[in-house]
Amino acid sequence: MIPDFDQQGKAQTKEWVPESTAPAILLENVSKSYGRIFALSNITLALNGGVTGVLGMNGAGKSTLFNLLMGKLKVSQGSVKLFGTDPWKNPAPYARVGFVPEHEKMYDWMTGHEFVSTFARLNGLTRDEAKVEADRVLDFVSLSDVAHKKIGQYSKGMRQRVKIAHALVNDPELIILDEPLQGCDPLARTTIMNVIRELGRMGRTVLVSSHILQEIERITEQIIILHQGRLLALGNLHSIRERLDKIPHRISIQTEDPKALAKNVIDIDEVFGISFPDGKNLSIQTHNLGAIHSRLPQIIVDNNHKVNTIDNPDDDLASILGYLTSGGGI
Amino acid sequence: MATKPDSIYRSLDRKASAIIEFTLRQYRTKKSTWVVLGVGFTALSLIFLIYIDVMASEFESIDNDGDSTDFDNDGYPRGQELRLGTDPWDGDSHPGLFDPPIEPDPKSMYINEDGFDWDVTARVGLQSTGFDDDGDCQDANKTDSQKDTNDNGVACDIVIEYYRLSDGQLYATIDADDGVDEDPDEDAYSREAIHLAFVLSIGKLGFVLLLGIFLPLFLATGLIRDEMNSGTMHFMLAKPIARTEVFLYRTLGYLGIVWPYVIALGILGAIVSGFAGSGDSFFRFADLGVWLAIIFATMMATLVYGMLFNALGVLWKYGIILAIPFAAWELGMALLSMGAPDSTLLRFSIIGWALMIVDAAAMMVWPSLDVFILMGNWGGDGGANWDFEKSLEGAGPLGFFSSKPGLGLSAFPAVIVSSLVLLLQAAIFWFVGGALFKGKEIQ
Amino acid sequence: MSDVDNESIPQPTEFAAEAPVTGKVRLEAAWGSTEGDEDLTVTTNTAPKSDGQIFKQQYKPWNGELNPRWMRNWAILRHHLLGVFKKGHRPWGVPIRLYLLVVFVASLSDVGMTLVSGLIGDSGLHSVWGVSRDNLYAHVLGFFPRNMLYYPVVAALLVGGVISEDRQHGTSALYFSRPITRFDYVGMKFISVALIQAILILVTLALYYFAEIATMGRGWAWIIDTFPMFLATVFSALLLIFTYTSIGLSLSSVSKGKFFPGIALLSIILGTKVLAFIVSNLFDREILYLLSPYDCLAHVGQAIIGTQPTYDQYSWTWSLASLVAMNGVALYVLSTRVSSMEVTRE
Repeated sequence: MIPDFDQQGKAQTKEWVPESTAPAILLENVSKSYGRIFALSNITLALNGGVTGVLGMNGAGKSTLFNLLMGKLKVSQGSVKLFGTDPWKNPAPYARVGFVPEHEKMYDWMTGHEFVSTFARLNGLTRDEAKVEADRVLDFVSLSDVAHKKIGQYSKGMRQRVKIAHALVNDPELIILDEPLQGCDPLARTTIMNVIRELGRMGRTVLVSSHILQEIERITEQIIILHQGRLLALGNLHSIRERLDKIPHRISIQTEDPKALAKNVIDIDEVFGISFPDGKNLSIQTHNLGAIHSRLPQIIVDNNHKVNTIDNPDDDLASILGYLTSGGGI
Repeated sequence: MATKPDSIYRSLDRKASAIIEFTLRQYRTKKSTWVVLGVGFTALSLIFLIYIDVMASEFESIDNDGDSTDFDNDGYPRGQELRLGTDPWDGDSHPGLFDPPIEPDPKSMYINEDGFDWDVTARVGLQSTGFDDDGDCQDANKTDSQKDTNDNGVACDIVIEYYRLSDGQLYATIDADDGVDEDPDEDAYSREAIHLAFVLSIGKLGFVLLLGIFLPLFLATGLIRDEMNSGTMHFMLAKPIARTEVFLYRTLGYLGIVWPYVIALGILGAIVSGFAGSGDSFFRFADLGVWLAIIFATMMATLVYGMLFNALGVLWKYGIILAIPFAAWELGMALLSMGAPDSTLLRFSIIGWALMIVDAAAMMVWPSLDVFILMGNWGGDGGANWDFEKSLEGAGPLGFFSSKPGLGLSAFPAVIVSSLVLLLQAAIFWFVGGALFKGKEIQ
Repeated sequence: MSDVDNESIPQPTEFAAEAPVTGKVRLEAAWGSTEGDEDLTVTTNTAPKSDGQIFKQQYKPWNGELNPRWMRNWAILRHHLLGVFKKGHRPWGVPIRLYLLVVFVASLSDVGMTLVSGLIGDSGLHSVWGVSRDNLYAHVLGFFPRNMLYYPVVAALLVGGVISEDRQHGTSALYFSRPITRFDYVGMKFISVALIQAILILVTLALYYFAEIATMGRGWAWIIDTFPMFLATVFSALLLIFTYTSIGLSLSSVSKGKFFPGIALLSIILGTKVLAFIVSNLFDREILYLLSPYDCLAHVGQAIIGTQPTYDQYSWTWSLASLVAMNGVALYVLSTRVSSMEVTRE
């Protein structure tokens, strides 16, 4: 399923030369409100090149951001520019943009190839050119074998990939993917992630949204975190993560013999504190949650502890976001 | 890569053909499209079948002047007795008493024995026409003044005077000498009149009104709205294409299925009425002009309504609620145009202009239509007086369904003017719909 | 610990491979590893088994009392009816409710004129607008504007989404996951749509009748005289409501869209009327009126109310038979469609 990216094909062989000095995406003090509810408030952002992940809970404003970029919505304040042009007023920049919408509904009566080639013609390709290009991008997302089947028969992963193919058909400089991994099986995920990474390697600007960090992490290091319409974090994943490392974490373990387990756990370097809230529970404090979690199961199995639950009470989104917004600890 | 950013508007035709083709294929996959087209076809076919049946049946011959009746029961019809100078009311006075006796004529000789011989045009002034086929006016026993009861100095003729009233319409008075064109052939007249009325009514109500309104109502209202609701509009709007273009091309795609359908049904109607219609010729070629106008008017109507209903769909999720009262308004305007083709209100409708095209074409193709209606209204009562209750069958419906183009225009300019107005309306609705679409936020 | 349990800890090996980078776990937990159902929670069995395990099955039957059928159905009916008046019940949409109001007010035109004529004592005005055989007929069955702009449009708007919307939104599953039969479901939809129309037609009709009694001071003699006529009008109104509803609902059950049933109902009512009008006017044949629901209703109505008949080529029993056939076909389509309807989201 993983495509061979070294195959012959225009997109791979040609180096992209940016044709304009304007950044691909430029948002200045952008706010979008529905009545008194702000879906996005005061976002300033410039993106050019590379893969950027947009993280946020449901309702954080990811889709609103994308709809603003795609000219579906009108900004309440501020300005949105794609390649220096306001997309609400002028659809011209879309010649250089590919968009993968979140919506599940597709034209089930078309084949994948028809879908891609028909919409390729909206980029100004002739019928014949469109067919050739459709073949190319469908191959790129490794859908060649089912290209002539009806979309209605596709699995969810195939649908996502055919949407990506439709977005790539004009060889865009900027690719916006709204939840491309949602509902896909692991194999499709891997393929789609590889496609996105490859696009980034080819020098395209890629904006991909997700509410799952792990997925984004496998694609890119540059992330944007949106929360309640505000820009919460922006930049390299590592640096954000380092800041997060300074806060202590708690791990709560419910076991029949907390003291015995504590003896085994205290040997781990990263543990700097242990407490017993009650007779059945053990609370571990650490700066390095990953290390604990990688070693804890082994300790439990080796020493034959009877563990009921392991919990990270601080690791809910609220405490993370609380930390990020206040800049302080918990 | 084939496209470069500077080539966005280079290939309008490619985008256009792609969306049109896409729209057509989308219609093809929807069951409702076929149901709508099938029901339309069935309904019109039903009317065609009834028409064929009516045309194949005989129209009852009526003795309009009553001279086939034997009032005095002497075996001789009244007409024969009058001709031969006996008393039709006296059973003891009949041609059988002549020397040598004359056999009674069959009654059928006195039915439909004096048909129309009119050669007039609808213009202001006096015209003399008519011919006494059965010779009851030219009877040698009559004096000159008896032969010229309308006192115009010509024996056995009909005087038709057209005059124009202040409303701009032509009106006519008919003054015939006794016994001229007093017993026309019902079958010939009614067959022709009902044929003409059929073409006009099916063209105006069946095609321009029903097809013209209901096809767009079913097919065009959701052109943009359905895509917006289902979220698939995102695919189209993510491409470098202006929304007004999408609006236009979607409508063109809708026309791509509606226009061939209208043309096919129009050709079917032309063939049916051409072969089954009245007349001696094998096929009524002259009517093709009217059918052409009907097809054209219906196409224009579906264009304008398509743009309008599409725009209403963009405007509001419940665009259909706006479209339905509008359709009712148009229905009322259609009926108004039958009765008062010069009404100013009609100028604020779409259908008024579309029907004007049909009326103008009818005026061009059948120049003597007015005279023909006049004939039928007059001719049913033995030439005696005006009695619409007794007018010949078919004259009433023909008078109802035919009307003048209005605006005081002659036929050809009327076609041009109404076509231009309809195109302008379509352009306005496109502009409005495109602007609405452009200002619409899509979730 | 068994292998199975190890797997539910999210990818420990992967974490180890990228060892020093640790802030991720926090973010990781925040945004869930995948769908949130595999949190950092491990549940171990106290006695791990190497072979499989059959859990003890415990069923606890529900011993509660199921409300009687009519009560459940009443809930559905109430849900649909109250939706016209207030929030929290079936949302009918503002435009539809607005149109219902407009039609209700417009249907009161003859009531208003009767009141006015009674107040100013204009007998000429009253002879035009007061209760009479023709006016009762016109209140329910008059073509323009009532059966062109009011009642068919109301029926079209009501049936538009009443079943198809449930199918589209997947809310029909909410009904069918409860102890409700499909027949009850459709029956209640039918009755609620019919009742809303009845409010518009019958209530205004009754108001009209009472306005006449009140303003003209009619006595028992008049009431006894006219009541059969009034009842006949009520009966023809019921027939009209039933016919429009059954045709409309059958259209709603066969279609997915919201617009289609509405437009189709209107085009059936108005389209057949126009076609029949053409044919009768042109060829002097009234046979096509048998295909037009409105004309059949009008014919039957004329017969039972006793107004001057406008259809004279065939007996009104033919129209009645045609109505029965139309309703039969519509109800048949409705019942087969609903009994075979898949409770899925479309």
